[in-house]
Amino acid sequence: MQASRARLFKEYKEVQREKGVDPDIQLICDDSNIFKWTALIKGPSETPYEGGVFQLAFAIPEQYPLLPPQVRFLTKIFHPNVHFKTGEICLDILKNAWSPAWTLQSVCRAIIALMSHPEPDSPLNCDSGNLLRSGDVRGYRSMARMYTKLAAMPKKGAESSHTL
Amino acid sequence: MAVSSSAGDDGLRPPPQQCPICLQSIKQEAYLDRCFHSFCHQCIAQWVQYVGNKNSESMTSIKCPLCKTDNLSIVYGFNGQNFQRQYVNPKLEQRSFSDAHEFRMKFYIGDKGPTDGLFHVEQYWKRRKYLQKNPWLQQWLIREVQTLSQDEDVEVIVHHIIGVAEIFFKRQQNGENKATPEQQRIQFRTLLSDAARPFLAGYTERFINELESFLVSGLNVEAYDKVCMQQISEPSSSGSLDSSSPCDETLQHVYLPYFDEDIEIDK
Repeated sequence: MQASRARLFKEYKEVQREKGVDPDIQLICDDSNIFKWTALIKGPSETPYEGGVFQLAFAIPEQYPLLPPQVRFLTKIFHPNVHFKTGEICLDILKNAWSPAWTLQSVCRAIIALMSHPEPDSPLNCDSGNLLRSGDVRGYRSMARMYTKLAAMPKKGAESSHTL
Repeated sequence: MAVSSSAGDDGLRPPPQQCPICLQSIKQEAYLDRCFHSFCHQCIAQWVQYVGNKNSESMTSIKCPLCKTDNLSIVYGFNGQNFQRQYVNPKLEQRSFSDAHEFRMKFYIGDKGPTDGLFHVEQYWKRRKYLQKNPWLQQWLIREVQTLSQDEDVEVIVHHIIGVAEIFFKRQQNGENKATPEQQRIQFRTLLSDAARPFLAGYTERFINELESFLVSGLNVEAYDKVCMQQISEPSSSGSLDSSSPCDETLQHVYLPYFDEDIEIDK
């Protein structure tokens, strides 16, 4: 417990110090609970997620960093490895391949990499996975693009709450 | 399940001396035996224990948190003289070395050898007793170097050390060396130190002391161990071992004949 708190505090300081070093990631710690974090990540360019801003929720276990953080998308996303309803992410480093050398920041980078390189063979979103597996890249892209526009982009005319 | 890039590259590596697990500066530095990545001893030991508990069958190796290399042990507590080693699978530790190795290690950790001043070092050099080859030297060296290097495969090192010693003794035999016995002794020790130091580092000086003791004793490995053990159990009786009447009757048959006073080698 003490070790996880110390480590998270160190990560918090690092995030404050390196603010803006990685413009694609913004990590925010909950005001009252260091075990709850959110992150805003930019959809990577040349993907259907480009231009979108996606919100992630981190729930960090007490045994962190022996155990990985639980991460899910709060923003709706159409992606083979993200559960469409719950936002759960299927990513090896968040499960078996976790190593305590990963940080919240590097986990965000891994998730951005996953957005660029979906793995349709281990789908949590079967519709999305099936489109890619059947070779319908165009179908996948247009669906993903539509949901990015619907859920991850500021509405035209409305004041955006997601700014990076 | 999606596969991400390795944790080893792309900016994950922290600046040196920061433990990648707790992100603080490293306390009680420990490193993995294959990839040499450093961590706090407590951090990496905890990770090994955690992974071990998670897996039902016993593991023999641990993947480095940074580079995923399979490692067999954690090395820690190193100070140039000693180090400690914690195997991922404790059985491996027992498999590698015998009790005798462990017993010998104790001599090297203490600050005084058990046989210091026990044998007649001066006579050995004066009477050129080294001209009689000790047939147990190789066996003894293998065990000592294994103990000190914590490595099973020491054949090359032992071969090297024996080679240096034999060349020296051959020169002595040919009478090329005109130095006094005391100078010859120093020459021998310097040569052997230089040969052993790259492999034994901080242990070198003690190793040379032990090597000389062993050669001077003229005993075989078992008998030499027995004398050492005796010295440890009765440290008060630290009187010099009289070569003509060994204190232990059972040791007599293992002495080389040059312990008999009547053997003299002409200068």
